[in-house]
Amino acid sequence: MMAIRELKVCLLGDTGVGKSSIVCRFVQDHFDHNISPTIGASFMTKTVPCGNELHKFLIWDTAGQERFHSLAPMYYRGSAAAVIVYDITKQDSFYTLKKWVKELKEHGPENIVMAIAGNKCDLSDIREVPLKDAKEYAESIGAIVVETSAKNAINIEELFQGISRQIPPLDPHENGNNGIKLVKPTSQASRRCC
Amino acid sequence: MTSPPSSRISWDVQNLLLQLSLCDQPQSIYKLSEQMMGTSNIGSIHISARGQTQSNHYASWSPKDLLRQRQRWEESPACSGAPLGEMSAWTMGARGLDKRGSFFKLIDTIASEIGELKQEMVQTDVSLENGLEPAETHSMVRHKDGGYSEEEDVKTCARDSGYDSLSNRLSILDRLLHTHPIWLQLGLSEEEAAEVLQAQPPGIFLVHKSTKMQKKVLSLRLPCEFGAPLKEFAIKESTYTFSLEGSGISFADLFRLIAFYCISRDVLPFTLKLPYAISTAKSEAQLEELAQMGLNFWSSPADSKPPNPPPPHRPLSSDGVCPASLRQLCLINGVHSIKTRTPSELECSQTNGALCFINPLFLKVHSQDLSGGLKRPSTRTPNANGTERTRSPPPRPPPPAINSLHTSPRLARTETQTSMPETVNHNKHGNVALPGTKPTPIPPPRLKKQASFLEAEGGAKTLSGGRPGAGRELELGTAGSPGGVPPEAAPGDCTRAPPPSSESRPPCHGGRQRLSDMSISTSSSDSLEFDRSMPLFGYEADTNSSLEDYEGESDQETMAPPIKSKKKRSSSFVLPKLVKSQLQKVSGVFSSFMTPEKRMVRRIAELSRDKCTYFGCLVQDYVSFLQENKECHVSSTDMLQTIRQFMTQVKNYLSQSSELDPPIESLIPEDQIDVVLEKAMHKCILKPLKGHVEAMLKDFHMADGSWKQLKENLQLVRQRNPQELGVFAPTPDFVDVEKIKVKFMTMQKMYSPEKKVMLLLRVCKLIYTVMENNSGRMYGADDFLPVLTYVIAQCDMLELDTEIEYMMELLDPSLLHGEGGYYLTSAYGALSLIKNFQEEQAARLLSSETRDTLRQWHKRRTTNRTIPSVDDFQNYLRVAFQEVNSGCTGKTLLVRPYITTEDVCQICAEKFKVGDPEEYSLFLFVDETWQQLAEDTYPQKIKAELHSRPQPHIFHFVYKRIKNDPYGVIFQNGEDDLTTS
Repeated sequence: MMAIRELKVCLLGDTGVGKSSIVCRFVQDHFDHNISPTIGASFMTKTVPCGNELHKFLIWDTAGQERFHSLAPMYYRGSAAAVIVYDITKQDSFYTLKKWVKELKEHGPENIVMAIAGNKCDLSDIREVPLKDAKEYAESIGAIVVETSAKNAINIEELFQGISRQIPPLDPHENGNNGIKLVKPTSQASRRCC
Repeated sequence: MTSPPSSRISWDVQNLLLQLSLCDQPQSIYKLSEQMMGTSNIGSIHISARGQTQSNHYASWSPKDLLRQRQRWEESPACSGAPLGEMSAWTMGARGLDKRGSFFKLIDTIASEIGELKQEMVQTDVSLENGLEPAETHSMVRHKDGGYSEEEDVKTCARDSGYDSLSNRLSILDRLLHTHPIWLQLGLSEEEAAEVLQAQPPGIFLVHKSTKMQKKVLSLRLPCEFGAPLKEFAIKESTYTFSLEGSGISFADLFRLIAFYCISRDVLPFTLKLPYAISTAKSEAQLEELAQMGLNFWSSPADSKPPNPPPPHRPLSSDGVCPASLRQLCLINGVHSIKTRTPSELECSQTNGALCFINPLFLKVHSQDLSGGLKRPSTRTPNANGTERTRSPPPRPPPPAINSLHTSPRLARTETQTSMPETVNHNKHGNVALPGTKPTPIPPPRLKKQASFLEAEGGAKTLSGGRPGAGRELELGTAGSPGGVPPEAAPGDCTRAPPPSSESRPPCHGGRQRLSDMSISTSSSDSLEFDRSMPLFGYEADTNSSLEDYEGESDQETMAPPIKSKKKRSSSFVLPKLVKSQLQKVSGVFSSFMTPEKRMVRRIAELSRDKCTYFGCLVQDYVSFLQENKECHVSSTDMLQTIRQFMTQVKNYLSQSSELDPPIESLIPEDQIDVVLEKAMHKCILKPLKGHVEAMLKDFHMADGSWKQLKENLQLVRQRNPQELGVFAPTPDFVDVEKIKVKFMTMQKMYSPEKKVMLLLRVCKLIYTVMENNSGRMYGADDFLPVLTYVIAQCDMLELDTEIEYMMELLDPSLLHGEGGYYLTSAYGALSLIKNFQEEQAARLLSSETRDTLRQWHKRRTTNRTIPSVDDFQNYLRVAFQEVNSGCTGKTLLVRPYITTEDVCQICAEKFKVGDPEEYSLFLFVDETWQQLAEDTYPQKIKAELHSRPQPHIFHFVYKRIKNDPYGVIFQNGEDDLTTS
């Protein structure tokens, strides 16, 4: 039996860029009866196989409005990955994305996997953000980038597969985050003192 | 002699399936089966399930198939052990059926049920036929019971019509429970286990943990012709059950598993055998004596061999000959008439009793029997041996005051909080109504929520006909109030949150009417089908119903009535003492339905009150310390944090200590141990502390002004319309807000953070339902958070602030990333927005302070998950003693949180035998700096603070000379003093 690994993923981005649509699409496509439905679309889960592990994404949606910005740290804290969404038809949303990336770099969890999603690629005729810009930016920060359409189910699976691949496989010797570190002081103390 | 047994069986099986088909809770089936396994220790249990493809729908499983298969087996010559091929074919078929194992639980249930029936059939026959073949029957039964049948006993059995002697005997399960220190050797290695078993006759077994497989295994001694001396069978642990690898039969705990394999071989080459001394022990005292020896039993003379060891039960295969006794059973089943019994004739009390399923139709026909209070001529008296065990773990319920009939209350119970209020109600009416009231039918099995105690009472009632006492109190409650108040809206009932469906229920008149109404109204209009979010927490939301647990849930009696309650509320109703005690007895009866989880939690709670144990001391000391020392915490967070830390540490202690008997591993599958321990912690630590913690939280919030801030801002926010708060989705109306308020009020009554969070989730679900309003639109956080903020403001409950804080700090950290954690975070966020509304209006931004708080909280709660070592325990502190000449020594000292540095210095002076203590002081070495601690500081608090820092710090407490030491003074940097020594 494969081990299930829970991965917290947070969704960031301006209001109206389609954060929750992406998740709904991801979670509800190929509906699997094993998935226990959640209360609402702001928190959803989906389990996908990855190598010899099962990744259970616990997807935390955040409110994109500026006034809720200050609550974001609670949501992204402890996340293994962040999906930062912008709207390819709105230049502003791309600026906001950059702000989020900056914040994550400064205050986010270490080694957080960042994935940039340029949503609404079905509307590329009114595009304001060139794919090239996004790609260059993503490269500069070492993030995954993909243009998606939640509406037409384009690249949604790929987005999360990309995240799965970036998650380092669980090292059996390293049990969770800081599990061992805190015990160390004790052992060192005894070694040093006695 | 006239009617074949099949009629009886099919009747029962059909009822069973009737119940099961109504039941959508695998848990309930499991609970039921769990219990039955314990009761059916006589008679071999074999049952077959055809491999059906429609898997997890119980109703699709035809009783006829079942019956046919069963009969086939019974008629086949090898009735005690099916031929291996057939058996495994069956298990294979079964395995494919249901991933979640609920199918196996069903089999388990039915198997036990049929075993039970068989037992009763045998007994009935014995008593009725007056010993035509009873002796042989008994010899068979006895034989199967793992012992070596003794002629003497058999004769006795024959003489006393069988019944009493049967209940006098110790069951296999009892023998196993008492002697687990002998056969349950989790610490034993493969080699050691092999060594022990080598010296034993075939059939003897041990359960130990295999280091290779990282699993528990059953090691079985084989007879020499098998080649290998022993064989290991891995034990599979699923979320709720234990089973042998390769077998389709699951059990609630290890004891039941072993007991089953003592009777039936299933996937084993033959049945397990108890050591001679254990199987022949005559009393519990003897068993206890044996158990004292533990592992030494195996090498002691007590483990003597029987004079002529009979061979192990080999598969009765090739020759097709089965022992006479077994054939006898077939004969009995095949030929003797089975007497159908009315419910009043069924003796069902206690653990040895049958678990019965009552056909409502049947009841109508026989209802006159009930009023007559007929009893079966041959009664089984509850006897002390069988029921009252003082030392028998897990705790058994007290002997029942009535012979109650279990109408499977566990099936009915899911998540209601109803039992107490309803009980109150019944009793109230019971006092006025007449004793001879005509009985009403038992409610047909109803398996959705809202059913609980009431139904169980319905069951108790039917049996109690003509009996004074508890039975009557209960009976009259339901049956005897003409124009009776519907249970949901009854006076005593206003204390709980009514399900929204209560209004839509048609008015009812009298017991009969009402009960049938109840059974119809199973489809609740409650939009919160909450059950499905339970798995979030890894275990069922069993908030429910056993009386004792209910009482535990806190002072619900004083809760304000929900707005919707239409009936006048009876003012505080006090239970008469007598009634109360009777109720407790009844609850004792029901507690025999407890799951292993429940039993374990209860066991731990008992242990925590027992000051003779280390664990009990630890808990009691801590609880009273907190209650008596209000000043020991600097902030609300500090207080909650230390409580959480304490719970985690105690959990850790419990999982490693040997104070739990039987060991938790034998009752709870491994992946559930932590969950069960967490539950137990809530019960033994949070429950007694709840009131204190709440008061303290309020004090802290009053003192730091946040209470006032919230209060003022709440008023401001309430005046805004939804759009001003950024809401662009439908919002709950007044009625919905009231519903939500009721849920929040219920939340306040809970002590368990998990249960509180569940209520919060129900609120969120309700909000979502309103928002979506059947539009099919999915709303994300952009829409949800503003609505949540609006709703919380509308509820106007200042207490929510402390509630949320309580949950956030005390919830098991492993749940913080899940749905509960998400909505908890959102609720906290919403409250912060409200609290900072004014500022936000001014700056359109939250105060940076709030931001920092949030950040710190999350960091603290998610990064610092650590396994504490002994000196991380609340009461211990490791102090190094540094002398210039003699170097450095370390000691772990008992230092309670409220002990000051001054006191610690004193302790150190004693422990390290310092002649001139005034020259010494306690230093903290952290971040490569030395700090001398002031006399009035608290080292434990400093330690806690250091532990809670986001980055782990290396620190030491060092007791050393203040002056003239070569390592400098306070705040001296960069000296790695400790290594120099």
